Amino acid sequence: MSEHDHDHQAPARPYHRSDRPAEHDKTLADRVARIESLLIAKGLVDKGALDRLIEIYEQDLGPMNGAKVVARAWVDPAYKQRLLNNATAAIAELGFGGLQGEHMIVVENTPQIHNVIVCTLCSCYPWPVLGLPPTWYKDAAYRSRVVIDPRGVLTEFGTQLDDTVEVRVWDSSAEIRYLVLPERPAGTAHLNEDRLAQLIDRDCMIGVKKVRVS
Amino acid sequence: MSAARLIRADIAEMPGSCALPRKSGEMVFLSDWERRAFAIVVNLAEQGQFEWSEFQQQLIDCISDAERDDPQNPSRGYYESWLASLEALLRRKQLLEPLPHAARKAW
Repeated sequence: MSEHDHDHQAPARPYHRSDRPAEHDKTLADRVARIESLLIAKGLVDKGALDRLIEIYEQDLGPMNGAKVVARAWVDPAYKQRLLNNATAAIAELGFGGLQGEHMIVVENTPQIHNVIVCTLCSCYPWPVLGLPPTWYKDAAYRSRVVIDPRGVLTEFGTQLDDTVEVRVWDSSAEIRYLVLPERPAGTAHLNEDRLAQLIDRDCMIGVKKVRVS
Repeated sequence: MSAARLIRADIAEMPGSCALPRKSGEMVFLSDWERRAFAIVVNLAEQGQFEWSEFQQQLIDCISDAERDDPQNPSRGYYESWLASLEALLRRKQLLEPLPHAARKAW
């Protein structure tokens, strides 16, 4: 069993605990409610602004954005071309942004080429489209090994590639963030864009897995 | 407001011990008060009531304080440290008191 296996769903930090007694949780909730109502009374925050922020961070900061980009590229060849030519602009077309000067580059998987992304120096990651990086993405083990032995690492994720497939590893940086455009699986011709987006998960857009029809 | 997303990189990409708790890339809140506390801090920072780095440093200090006795079994959870940091910053910036006269009357 590799270290990848058990880290996939692990919480970011062990102390983000759910074992608080209900009574203690209530005390904490009261402290927050008191602060919120005092700040509202002072006119420093308003409830609607807080609700909007929660929605943005909780719902939009996740791999669903990337899945929508990929699904659009699968159904719309002109969009796909724009995505490959200028990913930052094409992603912004769908309303996803927030990077500060970094460029997005989308690399396309084909039957001959399989792409995988890494950040060997730290943990640069295309978070506006993929959310926050998984724990293993930041591990030294993944960062160093995927460069030396990409096929071995992909095998640990359950991805077996034919020997004829060329594997390309893309090293992200502060300036450039990569996103993998996975191959559309066979047998999906009848699915619409929304249904397709549901097939695409984070690991496929990092490039460690292929999209499967579930 | 357009569909543009306004997520800030310095918040989303906080490193190390203060990194936002997440699962499969998405933020994890265990109770609704954690959501509210998160949003209050982000909102105040967006208004320029304090620099994000100032809150972040406070959070790092609160977390390492909670981990002092046993790093594997900290004395409080992530958003409890977050809340303690918010309270500390509100005190330091004197954002909660005194309430302005008008607001107090309206209350």
